[in-house]
Amino acid sequence: MGLDIDRYATIKSPIQEWDARYKIAGITTWSLMISSIQTLPMAMFALLAAASLLAVARLPLDFIWKGTRWVLFFLLPFLVIMPLSYPNGTELHFLGIPFAPAGFRLALLVVIKAVAIVMSAYGIFATCRFDVAMIALQHLKCPRVLVQMLIFTYRYIFVFVGELERRETAMKARGFVATTDAATLRILGNFVGTLLVRSFERTERIYKAMLSKGYQGEYHTMTEFRATTGDPTKLALAVAATLVLFLLDHYAGFAQAELGWY
Amino acid sequence: MHISDGILPVSITVAGFAIAAAATALTIRNVDPEEIPKISVITSAFFVASLVHFPVGPSSVHLILNGLAGIVLGKRAFAAILLGIVLQAYLFGHGGLSVIGVNTVMMGTGALCAYAIWLTRRRVKLPEHLSFGGRQFRIPSRDVLFGAIAGAVGIFVSGIILSLALISTGEAFFTNAKLILGIHIPLMLIEGAVSGACVGFLMRVKPSVLCDYQPGDGLVPSKH
Repeated sequence: MGLDIDRYATIKSPIQEWDARYKIAGITTWSLMISSIQTLPMAMFALLAAASLLAVARLPLDFIWKGTRWVLFFLLPFLVIMPLSYPNGTELHFLGIPFAPAGFRLALLVVIKAVAIVMSAYGIFATCRFDVAMIALQHLKCPRVLVQMLIFTYRYIFVFVGELERRETAMKARGFVATTDAATLRILGNFVGTLLVRSFERTERIYKAMLSKGYQGEYHTMTEFRATTGDPTKLALAVAATLVLFLLDHYAGFAQAELGWY
Repeated sequence: MHISDGILPVSITVAGFAIAAAATALTIRNVDPEEIPKISVITSAFFVASLVHFPVGPSSVHLILNGLAGIVLGKRAFAAILLGIVLQAYLFGHGGLSVIGVNTVMMGTGALCAYAIWLTRRRVKLPEHLSFGGRQFRIPSRDVLFGAIAGAVGIFVSGIILSLALISTGEAFFTNAKLILGIHIPLMLIEGAVSGACVGFLMRVKPSVLCDYQPGDGLVPSKH
């Protein structure tokens, strides 16, 4: 299971070496701007920029594909449903069914934007160790309690994935085959129950272990951030790209999405 | 079911972040340091449990379990949902970065509604058997029934909020909103059944896992 999204965090590249605090601030601003785009050319520009970011980060193509394919899988039905259900402009027909080019354009815009945002987000998640990213979030004023819980949750996901795999093997060894029936629902409910019981019993031991190591409600880390002149420069570039995207999207005269947004 | 990036306008995504931040702050207020590992570990158990798939014909659906999270964690479930949504977006690119707020509001509200339903169970007394047509039918215990209803309502509320978010986005998304709401009906039945079964298991094995636990709660295991 590909939970180690930060496996390429040690590659030598300007993106991996970018201070995590500046990187999160810059790429998050860029990603949020992508979500506001209403023109196809700018969506394509954002997608190309995101692809360039990942190329500079030297992330493998199959890794990027594994991350973006689920977005495509969930959004591809939009390319069929929206042109056929679009309220206006159904002057074309496809196999006898009214088809609205504006609806297809809107669906394409949604798909391209979603892929561009996921790819841009990989510029943070895949180029930075998870714990470093979390501490960077804390430096960016994310509440400490939430950051602590994120780190603990991430840590124990791996434990429970191992638990899940062992239990699935045990169930198969006892002849369990999942089918679409009530017995499977009951067994899955019991299965979830055993995970919860084991997690609940673990929490008391975990808390005592943490207390014995001096835990007093604060998470201490050896991660230190030392920004160089290149870090704010890269942030400035990200902000400039965001502004260019905004200005071209609104004032370059490209056709805006119709009836997609009020 | 989550909403993806690229669909909602900025106004709704910003509102989503604002509401999620406010609701998280309210529900996580005065959290005890001892609760932090508990919430985190149970959240990770739910995260992994949501990777379990239930076969539906040639395909399968993965469990969401936001209603069950509400029954186990109570009001803290909202923060747990936020953690789960962030980690899903982070680790799998599933859901979306710009819509973390909206997805959290969607699933978290479902969890809180499930919690509210769970709390009302003590006011209801159910018979052990139901007579119909001259036959007696054994009905599930009150806790199992309320667990099932809470699990189903968690999904129903999430579906309503998701559909409303799509409808408020624009006319072009009306059909998608109706289709998504329709898909949530079988999901409700599946989640309700799994949640009910899980609650039945927990009431027999370790009822203290569930929130609003009182000594004396629990089901006696049936003798076979």
